[in-house]
Amino acid sequence: MKNLLDFIIKYSSWFVFLFFAVMSCLLLFQSNPYQHSIYFTSANAVSSAVYGLFNNVTSYFHLRGINEDLQQRNAMLENEVVSLRNQINDYKMQMPDTNSVRPEYQNFDFVIAHVISNSISQPYNYITINRGRADGVLPEMGVVDQNGVVGIVNVVGEHSARIISLLNPNLRLSCKVKDSDFFGSLVWDCVSPQYAVLEELPRHVEFENGDTIITSGYSAVFPEGLIVGTIEGQMPTNDDNFYTLKIKLTTDFSRLSTVRAISNGMKEELDALEAADFGNGKKGGRK
Amino acid sequence: MSKQVLQFVMLFVGMLLAQVICNRICLFGVAVPLVFIYFIIRLPINLSVNWVMCLSFLLGLCVDIFGDTQGMNALAATILAAGRKPVSLLYFPREYDLGNPVPSIRSLGLSVYAKYMLTAVLLYCVAVFVIQAFSLRHIEITLLRILSSTLLTFLVLLGFDSIATTRREKRL
Repeated sequence: MKNLLDFIIKYSSWFVFLFFAVMSCLLLFQSNPYQHSIYFTSANAVSSAVYGLFNNVTSYFHLRGINEDLQQRNAMLENEVVSLRNQINDYKMQMPDTNSVRPEYQNFDFVIAHVISNSISQPYNYITINRGRADGVLPEMGVVDQNGVVGIVNVVGEHSARIISLLNPNLRLSCKVKDSDFFGSLVWDCVSPQYAVLEELPRHVEFENGDTIITSGYSAVFPEGLIVGTIEGQMPTNDDNFYTLKIKLTTDFSRLSTVRAISNGMKEELDALEAADFGNGKKGGRK
Repeated sequence: MSKQVLQFVMLFVGMLLAQVICNRICLFGVAVPLVFIYFIIRLPINLSVNWVMCLSFLLGLCVDIFGDTQGMNALAATILAAGRKPVSLLYFPREYDLGNPVPSIRSLGLSVYAKYMLTAVLLYCVAVFVIQAFSLRHIEITLLRILSSTLLTFLVLLGFDSIATTRREKRL
């Protein structure tokens, strides 16, 4: 017994080292990003308070750029309103019952939030926002800003939440080329925060460089038609049946400020349907 | 003694906040200043390795929580804490006087201290970027990140030191 104690005391630093190494490896290799405990993420009360303080100071620095983005977006939306109004008027002339002309977004609601922490230099990036469960933010809600898709909520605290950024290879987003119905899967390749890769797009899809990539709406997370990026060019691929495209993201992740979390009124219903169809074995599928 | 403990508690919190700010910095898309390891470098050299590892792990864990890096910095900081003693044995003079056990320019001289700090920073950067790269294919980017981050962190830490020393000199 004494020898054992002597042994442990003599080599105590090795035991301490192994203990801490195992602890950090446990944290490091929790593979499913949705299982992280709130206490070990930036969405916990202390760190979100600190980030909130910093954000109070730094949020003013980007206002000019954000203002310009909003002006552009506003102009675009105004154009769209005019053209849609014209279209509805046309429909009204063609058929008296306009109930069939329904807006697509009627089941989606938005929660406005400020980004208080954001990283783009890591291989797995996360964003923290200052809205949480008390404000109606729930896990697996989609998040967008004025320029395009930002990510998906994964850990939610009382007044803060952590988002898996689009700049995180754990996130795969089902996307399609605008005005076609063929979809592929968008994923970040850990290289540049301005570009991502669209994989598994069928060979026979016709597209040109500069075409817009939008969300496909094949899940309850994002509604159809949100802008993600534009096609920059083709990338080499091993698979002859599918294209791999380089996508320039429209969202500027280096200066995120105000974002919107999208809540879907029909999500529970859709999830229940999916669970009934496929069982629970379909984890890590398209978002 | 308790004054020194208080100083290190303040250094701990200060370095954590400094790292939270520095997390937003990424020069040329590769160089990240990992300033919080200044705390580990400055811990008294006669402090037991177990204590150094505990404190380093704790600080690394805090940085992980703020930066959403899930144990990466905690593991790398533990490795640095374990490797600190061998690194110090490389450079420190044999007859090192334990009157002032805190490594600094004043107690060691600039060249020994700079070599010690550079080696520690390099060790940490290698550890943290190799842990990051476990799931990355791009070895050349990893090497670039290690070298540029080591250089940037080293320069920033020397800057910290010059601030600390001038304050002390003013007091004298």
